[in-house]
Amino acid sequence: MQTTQAFDEPAPDRRTLLKSAAFGLFAFTVGGGPMMLTPAEARTRGAALAKLSADEAALLEAFGEALVPGARAAGIAHFVDANLARPHSESLLTARYLDVLPPNDAFYKAGLAALDAASRTVLGAPFAQVSAAAAKPLITAMLPGTITPWQGPPPPLFYLAVRSDAADLVYGTRAAFARMQVPYMAHIEPPADW
Amino acid sequence: MAAQLSPKRTDAVIVGAGAAGNLFAAALAEAGKSVLVLDPGPAWQARDLYSSSIWARRLRWGGPVVESTGGHAFGAGFNMGWGTGGAALHHYGTWPRLMPSDFTMRSDFGKGLDWPIGYDDLRPFYDRIQEEVGVSGDADAEVWRPAGAPYPLPPLQQFAQARLLAKGFHALGMKTAPSPMAILSQDYKGRPACLYDGWCDAGCPTGALANPLVTYHPRAVKAGARFVNGAHVTQLIPGKTARAAAGVEYIDHTGTVQTALADMVILAASTVSNPAILLNSTGGAWTSGAGNSSGLVGRYFMTHSIASVYGFFDGEETENYMGVTGAQATNMDHYGKQSLGSDAFGSLQWQLAPTMKPNDLLGVAMARADLFGAELTAFMERAVHHLAVMFGFGEGLPVLENRIELSDRSGPGGTRTPRVVHTFAPESVKLSENAAQLGLKIIKAGGAAEPWAGPMASAHMMGGTIMGRDARTSITDSFGRSHDIDNLVIAGPGLFPTAGAMNPNFTNHALALRSAEHLVAQWLS
Repeated sequence: MQTTQAFDEPAPDRRTLLKSAAFGLFAFTVGGGPMMLTPAEARTRGAALAKLSADEAALLEAFGEALVPGARAAGIAHFVDANLARPHSESLLTARYLDVLPPNDAFYKAGLAALDAASRTVLGAPFAQVSAAAAKPLITAMLPGTITPWQGPPPPLFYLAVRSDAADLVYGTRAAFARMQVPYMAHIEPPADW
Repeated sequence: MAAQLSPKRTDAVIVGAGAAGNLFAAALAEAGKSVLVLDPGPAWQARDLYSSSIWARRLRWGGPVVESTGGHAFGAGFNMGWGTGGAALHHYGTWPRLMPSDFTMRSDFGKGLDWPIGYDDLRPFYDRIQEEVGVSGDADAEVWRPAGAPYPLPPLQQFAQARLLAKGFHALGMKTAPSPMAILSQDYKGRPACLYDGWCDAGCPTGALANPLVTYHPRAVKAGARFVNGAHVTQLIPGKTARAAAGVEYIDHTGTVQTALADMVILAASTVSNPAILLNSTGGAWTSGAGNSSGLVGRYFMTHSIASVYGFFDGEETENYMGVTGAQATNMDHYGKQSLGSDAFGSLQWQLAPTMKPNDLLGVAMARADLFGAELTAFMERAVHHLAVMFGFGEGLPVLENRIELSDRSGPGGTRTPRVVHTFAPESVKLSENAAQLGLKIIKAGGAAEPWAGPMASAHMMGGTIMGRDARTSITDSFGRSHDIDNLVIAGPGLFPTAGAMNPNFTNHALALRSAEHLVAQWLS
């Protein structure tokens, strides 16, 4: 049984025999040309967004970071944006599990707008500018659906979708497993680092 | 989109390349029949099954989004499959049999429905299926188990999480047994034993878990069945009379409308897609949908409630990332329909110690969906090494109003997309609530710290095309043959008149084998 050996290394057995070619990084546009990058790299390099505006991306980063610390640097906005640009059948977003009705970009845009409007009304500032402590009561009211005002998709659904996106990047990657000392034990190595 | 001028013709066209579709394809092709299998999703192969909860989402339904509504909306997107293998490609391989009492609920209790067959009718098919695909378990330890052949393989290995949770059951005088799993504990028929890496949810590329890619699909291909992927079936085509189907219409991967003519139509798409196709089939005399003279196509949709119970074992490494996604151990002490209080009704099955990866819907982070920010960070640091979980699967009663119907949204080829309407019966809700309370008592007795129960969830899809003896109150007979259309057979858990509290895929296989062999026998005679 494998328990605490080198967490970021596959065990030297059948698992490694099943490695696939590492393809599947997201295609981002940097400097006018396409590049295959991870979401974190895309963020660092300022890759162009396909579906979200710069303001929406900044808001998604702020919300994702408030939900799961580390999500901003992990590239949540670019991760979500790249998946929104894919056909639904190729999307890797949890929204796919949550029966979010298409188009999914409208779901994210409407949810972000509702969150920002609620923040401006309740906290007197755009969500991206409020502190984690100040935002906490607002966010806490999302899962039970008691947040007001709210004009967007069901707040619990939007909360769960973005929280899951953030958790994917912060806790679901090979690097995250290694950080948490959880053995990854891939049968087939996933593309990129997740 | 132009219709093809020269439609293909085969002995049988099978809609859906999931568990039942592949089993039918193998049985019919091996009997010498020409078989065409149509599936809307991709032709997955083992090499596509990346070990990642994120990439695993490609294996879930990728067709037109299914609306879900009702008092307890069902997660269609999570439960449905996409592509060759269907939902069985990402299923967890937990394979308990239904109990005899599940077949006679109406007669015994005046609730729900009866099956047109009993456990003894299915028993030989359970026995044969477990031998064919390889099921691991300990029949003697499962003191609740109905009569049947012992498992062909010894139980799977258990890890710390299972041992810790079992302590609570034993402290209260309850029993546990290794969960019966369609996962190989030893090499079997050319397939390797499980590695216990806990990636079952992402599809098992090693072949240890009995997904269709390693069970009936290779047999079907070898026998000559032809699989066409990217083929979205829109409707059945009426035959010369209302009691005959000429074949099916589908839209291929290029968007072209195609026709597949066949002597037999096997509808094995999914619990949701089968009724959707039937209801969209309004050609000829089928004004209310094909096979729907009873008006019950789509009705009696059922699912299982889930009472999730968590606790910390801080002094122990629970190894919750090891094992299998389904369950390491089980308890069925409360399978009796009235064993969880007079206000509740239905059976309960405990599944102990499923693997939890840090992220995803069934992962560690979702165990406390209410936590965020620094509190979530602290929770995760503790939980990934010390959390344990068990799920109480509760029976959802068959309720007429729970249904798959057509929405107003447009789907491929002018169809209307399906909508699932689901609300648990009050006694089913109470069953899950009482199960959660029982679970908290159990996990506390085992020494878990800070135990809590998650909100009631649900899983598995059954009903919607139920079998029965009477054409006025059911869609098919016990072999899945449509009461209305002589050359239409329906397959899958949609046939179940009751849900029991058991994961449906073993029974799905047993029913499909029984139906397929009956069909072959009839055909050859």
